[in-house]
Amino acid sequence: MNSETVIDVERLNVSYDDFHAVKDLTFNVRRGELYALLGTNGAGKTSTLEVIEGHRASTSGKVSILGEDPRNRKAVRPRMGIMLQESGFSADLSAMETLTLIGGLTGREDQPSRVLDVVGLTTKSETRVSALSGGEKRRLDFATAIYGSPELIFLDEPTTGLDVASRDDLWEVVDRLREDGATIVLTTHYLEEAQQRADRIGLMHEGTFRMQGTVTELTQTLPGHISFTLSEDAPVLPLESSTSGGKLLIETHGLQQDLYTLLSWAEANRTELRDLDAGPTRLDDVFRSITRN
Amino acid sequence: MLTIARSELQQIVRNRMVFFSATVIPVGLSLLFIAQRETFSQVPTGMGFLAGAFMMILISMGLYSTAVTTLAARRQTLFLKRLRSTAVSDVAALAGILGPPALIGIIQVTAVLTVLAVLTEAPAAIPLLIVSGLSLVLMMLGLALATAGITTSPEHAQVTTLPVTMGTSAVAFWIGFTGTEELGMLKRALPGGAATELTINAWNGGVELADNLLLLPPTLAWIVIGVLLAKRFFRWEPRR
Repeated sequence: MNSETVIDVERLNVSYDDFHAVKDLTFNVRRGELYALLGTNGAGKTSTLEVIEGHRASTSGKVSILGEDPRNRKAVRPRMGIMLQESGFSADLSAMETLTLIGGLTGREDQPSRVLDVVGLTTKSETRVSALSGGEKRRLDFATAIYGSPELIFLDEPTTGLDVASRDDLWEVVDRLREDGATIVLTTHYLEEAQQRADRIGLMHEGTFRMQGTVTELTQTLPGHISFTLSEDAPVLPLESSTSGGKLLIETHGLQQDLYTLLSWAEANRTELRDLDAGPTRLDDVFRSITRN
Repeated sequence: MLTIARSELQQIVRNRMVFFSATVIPVGLSLLFIAQRETFSQVPTGMGFLAGAFMMILISMGLYSTAVTTLAARRQTLFLKRLRSTAVSDVAALAGILGPPALIGIIQVTAVLTVLAVLTEAPAAIPLLIVSGLSLVLMMLGLALATAGITTSPEHAQVTTLPVTMGTSAVAFWIGFTGTEELGMLKRALPGGAATELTINAWNGGVELADNLLLLPPTLAWIVIGVLLAKRFFRWEPRR
């Protein structure tokens, strides 16, 4: 294993009875990067994560976390934090008691009051989990994952149920942890978060990767778009176009050049490009394309 | 393990429903029997009957039922999965969760039997009584893990625990009322049967040590069965 590789997955397979949830999955996560594992519902993300986190045995294949077997909890857990998709806290304990209990069991050292402060739950420290809102429970979950500033952190749907300000706060903390060298594995349904923050993305569908790479590498697989409307007496366009949603649409792999050509044409012909919109492919376009195919 | 156990104890005390069913009901039932002890002194197994019945009621209702309910609740809320996200081993996690109900059960049995001894007569062989109690605790913990595997929620535990709590209590009362002169092999082979007979013998005295030790293998076999069933049925996460 490369010394800079934190997670190494080779030909991972996970099956439940007759259902093959993960098929021959191979990928790695490098130290310090934010890797987003995305996919459609039932794509196999959760099964993959559960094997990597050591919660489930694989059917076949090799998985290594920080150079160790992920099921070797004593060796691995003190170095990794896990934010589960669902909280898993006892309703009768307070936020402080919960963090003291779970944080203490991770094998990492920290001050629970400091971590509660980082996630903005200081005023709720004595409140029982049963009385916390959904967003506050997510923040408490996040607190257990970052307790002791582990070098590898799994964030499973970290911002689900959080308001915009809380989301920003959470990402600010993640950014600070990354500055300190933490490696992050993220799963989310908010594709714009992955697009903005991920160094690399693995896009899963039906148990396997359909695409893997940087955001740029992924979005370059599809053309960018220029859309607008024209008056009926406008001259013939200099570029090939189609009609979509009542607008003219130009799909392009050379966005800047074609936009320049179009604007020059409009200027020369004194033609107004109404409702002009242009941009590269977004991650959700790529996401849609893999489900359609 | 101790950190988890302390937290579990905190939760049992804070959750009035669990605290009530784990302590007040079995202890109240036992005290009711103690108040009626003159009636039970007429049965062939004498005061040993009450000791055997208390042991079974307290351990099956106080320990077994609470353990199953707690495990089902911790699994339903994903707390068990959460524990597996930490550095704690599976055995330590389970020991931490089952420790408090086991401790409460042992304290209850000790307290109620002490009251019985003060009001009636002291047990003839305290070490045998302890061995009998501990073997019963281990058997019930194994059965609790197995039952928790087929229990989907704390509410469901009210149904799934009935066969063992009712069954073992019925066995204890059957042996207490009729002794083991007839159908002795069958009574000892039933879960908790041999342990109840051992408790009665330990309380009343008059039985050879070698004969008493012969009552341990059936309970040990039930402990093994409990562990094997637990290995087969216990689950850490809700079924998806």
